[in-house]
Amino acid sequence: MMRSRRIALSLLLTCSLAFFFMNSGFGQQVGSDEQRSTEEKKEIVTQTETEKEKLIPSPKNIKEGTAIYVFVGWMWLSIFVLIYILRLKIKEIDRLYKIKFFSAKRE
Amino acid sequence: MNLKAVITGIQAWFDDRFGLSQIFKFLREKEVPQHKHTIWYYTGSAILLFFGIQVITGFMLVFYYKPTLEEANKSIARIMTEAPLGWIIRSVHFWSASFMIAIVFIHLFSIWITKSYRKPREATWMSGVFLLVISLAFGFTGYLLPWDALSLSATKVGTDIPRSIPVVGIWITKLLRGGEDVTGDTLTRFFGFHVCILPVFIFILLGFHIYFIQKQGMSLPVDVENRNEDVNSLPFWPNFVYREMIVWLLLVGILVTIAIFLPPSLDKAADLMAPAPEGIKPEWYFLFLFQILKIFPAKILFINGDTLAVLLFAVAFILFFFLPFIDNKPAERKGKIITVIAYVVIVFAVVMTVWSLL
Amino acid sequence: MKLKHSLFSRRQFLNGLLGGWLGALAASFLYPMVKFIFPPYREPDKVVLSFSDYQDMEPNSVRNFSWGTKPGLIKKNDNGTYFAFVAVCTHLDCNVVYLTEQRKFFCACHEGWYDENGLNIGGPPPRPLRQLIVEIEGENIIVKREGVE
Repeated sequence: MMRSRRIALSLLLTCSLAFFFMNSGFGQQVGSDEQRSTEEKKEIVTQTETEKEKLIPSPKNIKEGTAIYVFVGWMWLSIFVLIYILRLKIKEIDRLYKIKFFSAKRE
Repeated sequence: MNLKAVITGIQAWFDDRFGLSQIFKFLREKEVPQHKHTIWYYTGSAILLFFGIQVITGFMLVFYYKPTLEEANKSIARIMTEAPLGWIIRSVHFWSASFMIAIVFIHLFSIWITKSYRKPREATWMSGVFLLVISLAFGFTGYLLPWDALSLSATKVGTDIPRSIPVVGIWITKLLRGGEDVTGDTLTRFFGFHVCILPVFIFILLGFHIYFIQKQGMSLPVDVENRNEDVNSLPFWPNFVYREMIVWLLLVGILVTIAIFLPPSLDKAADLMAPAPEGIKPEWYFLFLFQILKIFPAKILFINGDTLAVLLFAVAFILFFFLPFIDNKPAERKGKIITVIAYVVIVFAVVMTVWSLL
Repeated sequence: MKLKHSLFSRRQFLNGLLGGWLGALAASFLYPMVKFIFPPYREPDKVVLSFSDYQDMEPNSVRNFSWGTKPGLIKKNDNGTYFAFVAVCTHLDCNVVYLTEQRKFFCACHEGWYDENGLNIGGPPPRPLRQLIVEIEGENIIVKREGVE
């Protein structure tokens, strides 16, 4: 039961992701961060001098760009670790509930 | 003096004065039924998560944003270039808005299809409809704030639509625009709606909505209820909350990742006198309405096409609002038809949205 | 060295790990948010002004200039040299004025007094006015922060 629900949830997430990626017709830049940071540094310099057509956001320098990648990696690592720990806790707390640990009178 | 004793002492201090332990007792005793539709129970708190993110990122953006015609676009440019990591904060705010409204729609249809609005939960549904309108209003008012050509045109079109309502339409348009036309005053007014007026209303309505849910407990889908056997259920705290935390962690991870790699750009400031740019369209959640308006002919018999479309929207909205009262026999044929209508509406909206993008 | 009993139970360990890691993740989210809310204040290293704007000053008079976001005063001394001060009172940040007749800088907020060299001589200011380095190079006056170049 749980498995089919999990599959449904991950399918839903993938479809939503696909939808958002398709719907990036708001003028977003599709390209890697590092590509952007070196290109856009030049672009922003010339653009700020004249009336700029479109301001495309990007990290200010390579240090910031790398820090962002590191942060995203750390965030996902933490999320997986935390989900692992939470699943252990869920197993435990469900087991305790099933044996009615909390409703029994404590000695 | 160990930490546990300190914490217990502080809890006792609060409990003696505010009775907080009653709240915790309630949360521990609140039960969440387990059945094949339990997954939809997660949508409500997901909306709350994204709304919380909107409030926090909104607080941060409002420190730098300037809601006047001359400064709006520039201040957002400043957020994106000068403020440290401002482009990420703005991007999170932008994407979390879309995520929130997407989940609002999922939540809405899950309630409709499982008929959770049955007695005694009619008021929860109706407060939910208001919450939907307010969420869309947040999106609409927020869309104008960058004050670029696209958002200006979208606002012009959006605030012109009520005009076709007989008698009151023109006044609604004037109220929204702060005058006959979209001007700098419209921008300031929309900002006022976005950060002050709408938040007040959403907090009041959210309060009601959440209070009703706690008071009445989680609803069961019709077929589960009619089975008359005992439904397995889990305590809300901590069992269901741990599960919600997993969902929240995943949602935050996806949001931040998308926000970092697909940040929105900023076009140059709008020119009130310039012609409308090509390819104007509203935000994705209005596209289906946009498309319906487009396919209505200019005149049907002697009625203005737009007026008819808007009146149709109004009728549909009223039926939608009173759905719990219309669907008063959920287990019978009428109830089944209403469920089918839900699926039809979903398909129709998706088809209209996709059509508008072609 | 083996312990007879664990320092903490498995449950405590797991709870601590969960809470601690969650806290670390929250902190890593909080850091960029705090950076955003407290933008870095960048003071200019130096400001280049056109000498022609300050050439015709009378001795014992001041003229203002912009030191980043703060007001600055250039003072022409009796002997023809120039001083540059950040014209902000060292007490509570009000802008100061130069009173030519009394040859003193005055802060109206709490009646703080500085002498013609910026030294605090009366009222609440705890420190002298911040003085900047003035260099005249050809057509320009360059006002520099202490310790630059």
